Amino acid sequence: MSERTSPIRHIPALAASHLLHEWVMSLCLVVALAAVIAPLFVLLGLKYGTIQTLRERLVEDPIFREIRPTQTQVFSSQWFAELSSWPETGFITPTILPLSSVINVVQNDSGKTKLYDLVPTAPGDPLLLENDGIVPVDGEVVLTTEAALESGIGVGEELIVRVTRSQDGRKEAAESRLRVVAVLDQRAGSLARVYAPLSLVLDVEAYKEGYAAPARGWAGATPEPYLSFDGAVLLLPEPLPAITRTGLIINSGFGRIAELSAIQVRALLGFLPPQDFAAYDLFTPGSPVTISSLRAVDQKLRGRTRALLPYVRDLKVTAAGNTLQPLGLSINAEQAQLLKIPETPWGGYNGNLPECDRLLQALWPSAKGRALTEQTEHREVEVQAAGVGEVAFALHSAGTTSFERPVLPVELLGVLRTGKQRAITFEPDGQCFAMARGGYRGFRLYARSIDDVPVLYNKLRSQGIDVLAEVAAIERIHTLDQGLTRLFLLIALLGLFGGTAVLVASLYAAVERRRRDLGVLRLLGFARRHVFFFPMAQGLMLAVLGLLAGLGGYAVLAGVINQAFAKELAVGEAFCAMPWRYLPVFGFSTLILAVLASLTAAWRATNIDPAEVIREQ
Amino acid sequence: MADKSTPMVYLEGLVKTRSQSESVFELHVPHFTVAPGQMVAIIGESGCGKSTLLDIIALVMAPTRVDRFLVAAGNGGPPADVAAHWATDAEGLLAALRRDSLGYVLQTGGLLPFLNVRRNICLSARIKGVALAAERVESLARRLGVVDCLERMPLSLSIGQRQRVAIVRALVHRPRLVLADEPTAAVDKGRARAIMDDMYALARDESVAVVVVSHDVDLVMDRADTVYTFTTDQLSEQLSRSLCRPLADNNR
Ligand SMILES: Nc1ncnc2c1ncn2[C@@H]1O[C@H](COP(=O)(O)OP(=O)(O)OP(=O)(O)O)[C@@H](O)[C@H]1O
Ligand SMILES: [Mg+2]
Repeated sequence: MSERTSPIRHIPALAASHLLHEWVMSLCLVVALAAVIAPLFVLLGLKYGTIQTLRERLVEDPIFREIRPTQTQVFSSQWFAELSSWPETGFITPTILPLSSVINVVQNDSGKTKLYDLVPTAPGDPLLLENDGIVPVDGEVVLTTEAALESGIGVGEELIVRVTRSQDGRKEAAESRLRVVAVLDQRAGSLARVYAPLSLVLDVEAYKEGYAAPARGWAGATPEPYLSFDGAVLLLPEPLPAITRTGLIINSGFGRIAELSAIQVRALLGFLPPQDFAAYDLFTPGSPVTISSLRAVDQKLRGRTRALLPYVRDLKVTAAGNTLQPLGLSINAEQAQLLKIPETPWGGYNGNLPECDRLLQALWPSAKGRALTEQTEHREVEVQAAGVGEVAFALHSAGTTSFERPVLPVELLGVLRTGKQRAITFEPDGQCFAMARGGYRGFRLYARSIDDVPVLYNKLRSQGIDVLAEVAAIERIHTLDQGLTRLFLLIALLGLFGGTAVLVASLYAAVERRRRDLGVLRLLGFARRHVFFFPMAQGLMLAVLGLLAGLGGYAVLAGVINQAFAKELAVGEAFCAMPWRYLPVFGFSTLILAVLASLTAAWRATNIDPAEVIREQ
Repeated sequence: MADKSTPMVYLEGLVKTRSQSESVFELHVPHFTVAPGQMVAIIGESGCGKSTLLDIIALVMAPTRVDRFLVAAGNGGPPADVAAHWATDAEGLLAALRRDSLGYVLQTGGLLPFLNVRRNICLSARIKGVALAAERVESLARRLGVVDCLERMPLSLSIGQRQRVAIVRALVHRPRLVLADEPTAAVDKGRARAIMDDMYALARDESVAVVVVSHDVDLVMDRADTVYTFTTDQLSEQLSRSLCRPLADNNR
């Protein structure tokens, strides 16, 4: 008995020779297998390619990390400080009211101006940095593609911007020359936009509101709040002639002058004028009285003994839950003597806004004042005044008054009255009262990564800030991925059945066709277990060839697909890209299937009785 | 070389029953031996069981019953007990015996159509696992006149050429027994004689025992050392029995 070398090792060569001999049949089989395998590769490639592309775009494009507020809303500086400390925050900058956040840009060709959005930016702005931009410093701007195309101004050139406002019916404009340091990629947005440091945006807003921006040489008012009153009471020892009275309201800014009874004076000023004094009410229906009007009237009265006391009507403040209706009085020594009332500790009204210390004083009515001041150690009372925006400040007690209502400097009431029409702010350590700027009305927020987007989104929503984010986009890709995977598995299953069936049928048919040859092999000395591997070897060979042909087909198809979509794709992106790590899995499962598919044929081959078949033709 | 007295094939009390639907065919072989280097002819009319007997000797058909069935092992050791192998279904051992000791020439050659002539010839030696010199293939092919056909595919050969190639393949790996089932049935008489002559001459030179089946008595009679023949009885409409015996010398 010789088992020198097992005859089994000759089986693969014989199987291969057989396949080669029947090459048309084999070719058809390989093509059939490739026709099953290639689409699976393509499908897998498409799935991974598209998902990868979408994901990468998501990761790459900062737009998917952006979280936008849906409504304008006031945000404090502290809020911004807090937000920048959140670990999920990649970048945040305040924005202002959208209507104020625009700027006129002088067009290069026509010299005319066009209104562009002015968007604040700051170091680290991903929208700029990830779209070929750099962050501009003061005096520099970055343009979107559209802005650069439309204005005809490119990188390195000067952009002339104008800010306009109408002040007292006159049109005013300020101009600035800014250097364009970058033009953003198309991806950053299709609108014409100018990105600039927040300081420029704030200055533009301030200028529009009438204020100056001294650093830019833009003229305008200082942010100190102006004083406004409801009117002024003129008190004189003797009545004015009618002609003089009329003279007072000509060219002084006042609209009307009316006689006042002593009772009416007390309602406005808190005290009764001395006997025989004449009292007049100077006012303009529907309009506030300004410092200049008061000054004008005062000029006209020069030489007469008189007291001109501005008043504010119906102004209420709250202190420790009590609503108070204070009197505004600033009486100097001269007036005190004339009117026989005590001088106010803060002095008389002189047309200027006094220093903060002088302004924030109060004389409390003896009874009420004790109750209020005894609550605090420092004899300070926290007061809130409602207006466009609420301001809160502390009043120092300067003593008591015999008046029934608390007495405050009339200038303070003038400020608070202004606050009813225009927002004012109070900063305890700063410049006291100031006209409120438009304020931070929104933000540009980018999460650190796309995975941080949902976290930030939920955090902000829980703060009651309604925001929008591309949370859905991330979710959509996930859903798409799952759907495609399911689709792939389904088609793979079909292909698996189809391919296996083809292989089963053809291998079995080959065995049937080659019964005699298999019988001869047995006769020559191959055992049953040897011929078992004949169809199996053929199945494996066909599978390998089919796999290779399938790969070839995939390569061609993927090339065609990526070519066809080349326009939508960036460099390095591919719609159809099969991850090569799947190749071993694919190859292995194909071979396993081939082996399984050859089992029937192999079993048939072992069952051939040589004696039955060797005499067949 | 094995002892001359040990037969190549030793058969005793063989019965093979083949049935197809209703009809049953019974082959009885009381005694059958092939000595080493001996020429054995099996003759008989069609359907008497010649091919059946040859396939049993070729170890591809299981005997229905056999008292003793020995085949000399190629390595000169004790003969293989084929009856036992069949009884234990030791198909692997039978296959090993086939490739080591036997060569088979079929009526239609039995060449593999997907291998060229040379690879067909070499296959028997290859699977036996013996080294085969190219010269041996060439010289055998030359003796049988098919040296020019070595690189051709079997289908492109004439029937006679195929038979000669089959004979080369059956001999090339130096078996000790060559079985041939009507190797010349498909060729004309003259050619048949030539092929038969070549085979006999070769077998003698290689000292290989040959068992040849033929219904052409003239072709084998004068060359064979021993002749076996059959007597067939139709026992009933269904049952026919064939008995295989050595042809008495007086009948030759
Ligand atoms: N597969 C089979 N199943 C059943 N009976 C068979 C089968 N093959 C052959 N037989 C029968 O066995 C008998 C012997 O057949 P065999 O092939 O051995 O005859 P043969 O002597 O070789 O004839 P031939 O000279 O025609 O080749 C025949 O009577 C035949 O009917
Ligand atoms: Mg026969």
